Amino acid sequence: MTSRHYSPAPCALEGCARNAVTGAQRCWQHLENRDAFINALASQDLENAWLVEVDLSDRDLSGAKLAGARLSGADLSRTDLSGADLRGAFLDEADLRAANLSDANLEFAVLGGADVSDACFKDANLRRANLVGTRARRADFTEADLYYSRPGNADFQEAILANASIERAIFRKANLAGATLSGSRGSPNLENANLDGVKR
Amino acid sequence: MIFRHFLIDVNESNAYVVACETTRQALLVDVAAFDAALGGFLEDQGLTLTTIFITHDHYDHTGGLQEALARYDAEVLAGKGSVGGCQARKVAHGDSVRIGELAGTVLATPGHTPEGVSMALPGVVFTGDALFSGSVGGTFSSQDARQQVDHIRKHIFSLPDDVEIYPGHGPPSTVGVERRYNPFFS
Repeated sequence: MTSRHYSPAPCALEGCARNAVTGAQRCWQHLENRDAFINALASQDLENAWLVEVDLSDRDLSGAKLAGARLSGADLSRTDLSGADLRGAFLDEADLRAANLSDANLEFAVLGGADVSDACFKDANLRRANLVGTRARRADFTEADLYYSRPGNADFQEAILANASIERAIFRKANLAGATLSGSRGSPNLENANLDGVKR
Repeated sequence: MIFRHFLIDVNESNAYVVACETTRQALLVDVAAFDAALGGFLEDQGLTLTTIFITHDHYDHTGGLQEALARYDAEVLAGKGSVGGCQARKVAHGDSVRIGELAGTVLATPGHTPEGVSMALPGVVFTGDALFSGSVGGTFSSQDARQQVDHIRKHIFSLPDDVEIYPGHGPPSTVGVERRYNPFFS
């Protein structure tokens, strides 16, 4: 992907140090008509878009093309992102609680520090995804592909990794207490991980 | 700024092209192998490869250097005068690098190798094998490990939290995520 989100326009409001969201002249905090902005998103090319801290909670973004988008700190709780293309997207510190990411493509995506508790990642592609410090309590990764992903220091308590590929995944210092690993495949790095009550 | 990531089939190494949208001058960060996708991207975008920045002298970061230099008249920058069997201009911490209208800064990040260097450009930093998503580079001694951690804290974690980190292997990250959650620092 040819990313251009490194040159976002600054927010038009004088004195604001944030960047304008893609498709508007202001940052999310200073955007006046947020509903109109959100409704217009459906017709836009969102690859590499700058959508930092936007509130898209409870929306239907299934199948959205968001590869390379910058969604840091966004509220995507309960959002339907099933089948979405999120390759290389930045979702760091985003709120993805109870979001639906089944069949989503998250290869090389950054979910570091995000809260994905109770989210669904069934059949999702998380190959080489950044899950450092991710809060993933009770998240469902059934049949997901986490090859060479980086869940270091992550909270996977009671997460479901049934039949998931965890080959080369680096769970260093992760908390997997009560997680379900039955049928998972591969040799992950579990250095200093908490494996209390793991179901194999 | 034009940006493109390449996953190279040599030890899962990353290579990156960064280019100035105005002058079309391009920087290549590490080159484990010069594959067709890399050359095709430069050609398709009308970019002129002027600079190759080598983060450290390991084969999975330099293996395609000779082929790249056979195709392009580019200057090689590295933390020592010779990398991958090719001459390089030795750069040091604080040196400025210009790619068209883009200004980069060299950051010293030794430990994984003595000559390890990173490069910061607007909004991004390329860390080679010094700092990965959730990890750091392997070292030969505890002294090297301490040196690496110290330099990362001083030169990388001092950048703003939203700066994107692009390592030599594995996924990208941000300064904020690594500073707060990387198991080697938190």
